[in-house]
Order: sequence, then structure tokens, then C-alpha cells
Amino acid sequence: MKKLVPVILAGIFLLYRSCFYAESDVYFVDVVPGDPPIFSVSVNLDTIVEPEVNDSLEVFYGAEIEKGEFYLAQAFVSKSVVFESDSVANSFWLFPGDVPYPGVDTLYIIFYYSTNTNSLADIVRLEANIVQRKYALQFN
Amino acid sequence: MRNRLIILTILLSAATASHRVQAQDLGIYASIGVATMRMDDMKYLLESIIETYPVEARVISSFPPYTASSFGFLKRLYPHLKLGAGYGFTTSGAKANYSDYSGSLTTEITAVSHRVGGLVSYSPISGDKIEFSLLGRLDLNVSRIDISTLLIASGFSNGGESTYTAFSPQASGYAEIMYNFGSFSFGLEGGYLLDLPGKLKESGGSYLSDPNDPRSDLTSDWTGWRAGIKGILWLKFKEN
Repeated sequence: MKKLVPVILAGIFLLYRSCFYAESDVYFVDVVPGDPPIFSVSVNLDTIVEPEVNDSLEVFYGAEIEKGEFYLAQAFVSKSVVFESDSVANSFWLFPGDVPYPGVDTLYIIFYYSTNTNSLADIVRLEANIVQRKYALQFN
Repeated sequence: MRNRLIILTILLSAATASHRVQAQDLGIYASIGVATMRMDDMKYLLESIIETYPVEARVISSFPPYTASSFGFLKRLYPHLKLGAGYGFTTSGAKANYSDYSGSLTTEITAVSHRVGGLVSYSPISGDKIEFSLLGRLDLNVSRIDISTLLIASGFSNGGESTYTAFSPQASGYAEIMYNFGSFSFGLEGGYLLDLPGKLKESGGSYLSDPNDPRSDLTSDWTGWRAGIKGILWLKFKEN
């Protein structure tokens, strides 16, 4: 009989956590995507043959988007961000000091814009279409 | 005539009890069952929260009847009268969710009630095997409400959680029918609990106010029905 009391108390203790309310159901929605945006971009480096960065070099870009939203433009050189903007058209400067050593390096410009999938990630701007441009530049 | 019979019955019961008052049995009880709860303010809060979502979410569950358990001790003062004290635990919650292929947005409200109090039990029918009792119970209740929202989308997650506490007095009335097996009793109980809603307060912070009327504070409310199974282990002491 004396053994029964600790057994009951141990049982209550073990059941205690399992008695907590938990709900695992979800409301899953099959989203209906809208028409994808029409996106185009132009960069002034497209028209320069073997561009060089001597003292400095200005880079222009202009993006056009229909039925969507432009999010961001990011430029990288040597894995470092050298420019960031949410403007559809803007410019930035490159300098020889942007790279650790003189020579040929690659400039990446990445454009982010909406997907129009109507998903949660699209609505909270965590889902994006990406267009990437890359240019080989001579840093002197 | 009817009143006289009732008075006579009570007097006979008391007289019978006085012979057995020395046999003060002590019982340890435990019960587990289900409880309903009103929680109107919390249901309203969840509806208000999902109105702020950028997507159309749905309330999956809103304070359904859920687990209620209790344990404590009883002391049989007279054959028909027991006093006791114990601890009670009740939990429930609510959840709203939106999910699609890209992620999910979820708000959960988890409510837990801890209550400690005393009870008095009167048994109008008290046979060797079957005992029917009416119980009254007064408790001090501590409610703990956790409200959390979590956004997961495209590998990114962001969320927040707040915890609120409320204190409230509770009164409840139960009926129970127990079957006795020697020193063990087993049976069913059911009743109604009345909670005086307590204002929810963040630890060291402010009260939880109505999102649509900041002058009004929100409360927890455990008022509802209770039903469950119950066991009592009687520890008999020798008479002096």
C-alpha cells in the first residue's frame, strides 16, 4: 500500500507535461499565382569594351518593371558589397581600392524584384526573382 | 411533516457520525478529465491578431475543452463530511495559421491554470460500496497565458512571444459518485467552475489591453464545466 502513493505521484508528474495543450493542424492554402512581372535592365558597362578602373569608374543602371515591384540592386566586387539601392535607376563609383590587388576582377550586379506568386513569402517580400549581371573589370 | 423528516435525518446522520469521529481517515485523491472554459477575451484577441495578418489566416482551434487534472488530500471528519485541500491544473489554447508552399504564419495562445484551494464534501448517500457526494471548492487561481507569433518564409523566420499572468478567485460545485474497494475509491465527478476573471499582466510590465480599445484590459476566464474520473486512496489510522 505504501508503494502505491509514490507510484500515483510519479504518474501524475509524468502525465503533467503531456497534458499541455498542443495543436498541430494548419490551414494550408494552394496559392494562385498572378502574371509574372516583366523586367528589363540596362547597365552602362554593357556598352564599354574592356572597362578599366584607373582613378574611378561610374556605373549606371536603369531597370524597368511592369506588374511588379523592384526590391533591390546590389553590387559586389571581390565578395564585398560596394553598392546597394532600392531605386530602379541609380549610379555608383568603383575605385582601385575596392579590390585587394590590382588586376582583373569581376563586378556582380544583382537585381531583386517581386515574383507575383501571391505566396506568403511574396507578400512579405521574402521571395524575389533575381537577375544577375557580371562584368570583368581591369583594376589598375 | 416533510421538514421534520429532513431535520430528523440530519440529526440521525450527525449522531451516527459522532460515534465514528475518532476514525479520521485520510485520503489522497487524484482526478483527470476534461474542462470547458469561456476565454471570451482570448478568443477575441486571436481574431484581432489575425486581422492584422497580410494574408487570410484561419482560426484552427479556439480554446477547445481540454485536460483538467487535480490532486490533493481529504480528511473524513464525519461519515458524511470530508474536508480537503488540493492543487488543480487545466490547460487549453488557440491557434490561427496560414500556410502555403513558401512558409507559414502562426499565432498560438496557450493557457494554463494552476489553482490551489480547499474543499468541503458532503455525502447524502454513503453506503459501504457506493458513495454520492456534493463538493464545494474555493481556489486561488494563477493563469499563465503565452501568446506567440511566428513567421517562416523562404528560410527566414521571425517571431515574438509574450507571457501574461493573472490571479483570480474561483468557486466550484461538483457532484461525484464513488465506488469503494476497501481502502480505494474510484468514480466519476462533474461540476461547474466559476472564475472571477483576472486581468492579464506581463511580468514586470503592463496589462494586456484590448487592441481596439487600449483603455480596456483583457482577462483570462476559466468559467466552465468539468468532468472526469477520480480515485481516492484511503490511509486508515488506528483509533485512539
